[in-house]
Amino acid sequence: MDITHKVSNSINIIQLGGRFDAHEVAPVVAWLKGQAEAGKVNLVVNLAGVNFIDSTALSTLVQGLKHCREKNGELHLCCMQQPVRVIFELTRLDKAFSIYTSEEEATAFQA
Amino acid sequence: MRIAIVTTFPPGKGSLNEYGFHFVKFLQTKTDMVSEIVLFVDELPEGEEYSFEQSAGQIPVRAVPCWKFGAWDNVLRIRREVKKINPDIVLFNIQFASFAAGKVPATLGLLTPWAVRLTGVKTAVLLHNIMETVDLKQAGFGGSKIIESVIRLFGNIVTRFILKADIVAVTIPKYVDILVEKYKAKNVLLAPHGSFEEASEDVPASAPTGAPNIMTFGKFGTYKKWILMEAFEKLQPSHPTAKLVIAGTDNPNVKGYLDGVKNKFSHVPNIHFTGYVSEEDVPKIFNDSWVVVFPYTSTTGSSGVLHQAGGFGRAVVLPKLGDLEELVIEEGYDGEFFEPESAQSLADAICRVIDHPQRMLEIGSRNYLAANGLPISEVVDWYLIHFQELLNRKN
Repeated sequence: MDITHKVSNSINIIQLGGRFDAHEVAPVVAWLKGQAEAGKVNLVVNLAGVNFIDSTALSTLVQGLKHCREKNGELHLCCMQQPVRVIFELTRLDKAFSIYTSEEEATAFQA
Repeated sequence: MRIAIVTTFPPGKGSLNEYGFHFVKFLQTKTDMVSEIVLFVDELPEGEEYSFEQSAGQIPVRAVPCWKFGAWDNVLRIRREVKKINPDIVLFNIQFASFAAGKVPATLGLLTPWAVRLTGVKTAVLLHNIMETVDLKQAGFGGSKIIESVIRLFGNIVTRFILKADIVAVTIPKYVDILVEKYKAKNVLLAPHGSFEEASEDVPASAPTGAPNIMTFGKFGTYKKWILMEAFEKLQPSHPTAKLVIAGTDNPNVKGYLDGVKNKFSHVPNIHFTGYVSEEDVPKIFNDSWVVVFPYTSTTGSSGVLHQAGGFGRAVVLPKLGDLEELVIEEGYDGEFFEPESAQSLADAICRVIDHPQRMLEIGSRNYLAANGLPISEVVDWYLIHFQELLNRKN
């Protein structure tokens, strides 16, 4: 999986590409943990490059969302490809997450 | 939030009791979101009572026995208790035969989510099977085509009532498709089943020793038939020391089934019937087995035993049936498959595992990874997030 990090509007963003599944979640888990330890509670996960997502990856995002909300923050998602959006709809996690069509919109929530 | 769960629960022996147990065990740890857990459970026989492990800092659990398998008034009694306790949300951990074996009380029981929702309390249903994929004849509900048609009609009506819950979770994607396409449901979601056991760091790597131990686990008589005993008889000449372990009890729909099997196959040596397996004995039953067999002739979609087998790194033998095969592939499990009506095919599939230790380990390792991919502790978080979203809607 391709992973890059950036900061925009003081919001930490992780950009993912390729398959996001049980075999690939470790670096994302580590990133989320690092953000939590650093006290960053408003985060964006850019899924633009992700073409496949499984239940373990979804669960990683759910855990991230839970931890952000515990600290009154939020984990925002953006730029989903259609196959990934279908999975979010199937699991109704599209109702639980704030999902944006662009990174700019996702980071604008706190700007 | 204050959560109530309508479920079976050990020492109650109703189906889905283990799922209820593991779900509650992890729900108790979610102190950040949950303040109280009440279980609306079935009444136990005289002399038995519910007890709960309670570690420091965990959410206390209270059992309210308020329904009885087979009773006609379960819907009224559960509704009354819900009104009395007034939780924020009620989760139903159910399948189509959760409340009774008889058609009328089973149907009445399944109206409970709708009846509870009418009280104004938010309702969620975890539905472990759907009527469309149940083979009624195999499930013991058939009889004639007319009766089957009538049951299907009532099944459709009951499904529509179940879908009146605020959300309905199912564990197989095909179920979502059916409920959305046929019933135009907008409140259905896919939720992972999750693995019962906590993952250990190492994949079980060594093959069991001693004589081949072939095990099957669950409740027998409807979907799980004596085809396994026939298969075992067929493989005995080539595997005289092999042991067959039948772990579990009769399905409530088919009382006395296992006694009948014992009599019919009394001439076959090395078949062991364990009776009911208590929670603490489950690990040994699985760890002693070389292969876990699913002798289903049809399926209800219940996948708990597959997840358990995976959790213990066991190889499995499965029928070539719609949603089991689908589940195996979609969730990354592996196994040997057999034709559901053929004892010879089942015997061959078992031999492909027990005669090939490398294959046995390979399947076991894959299943371990698949089962431990998503522990039920995380699945509980999915539900809590959905519950929170539901409650936010109200507020």
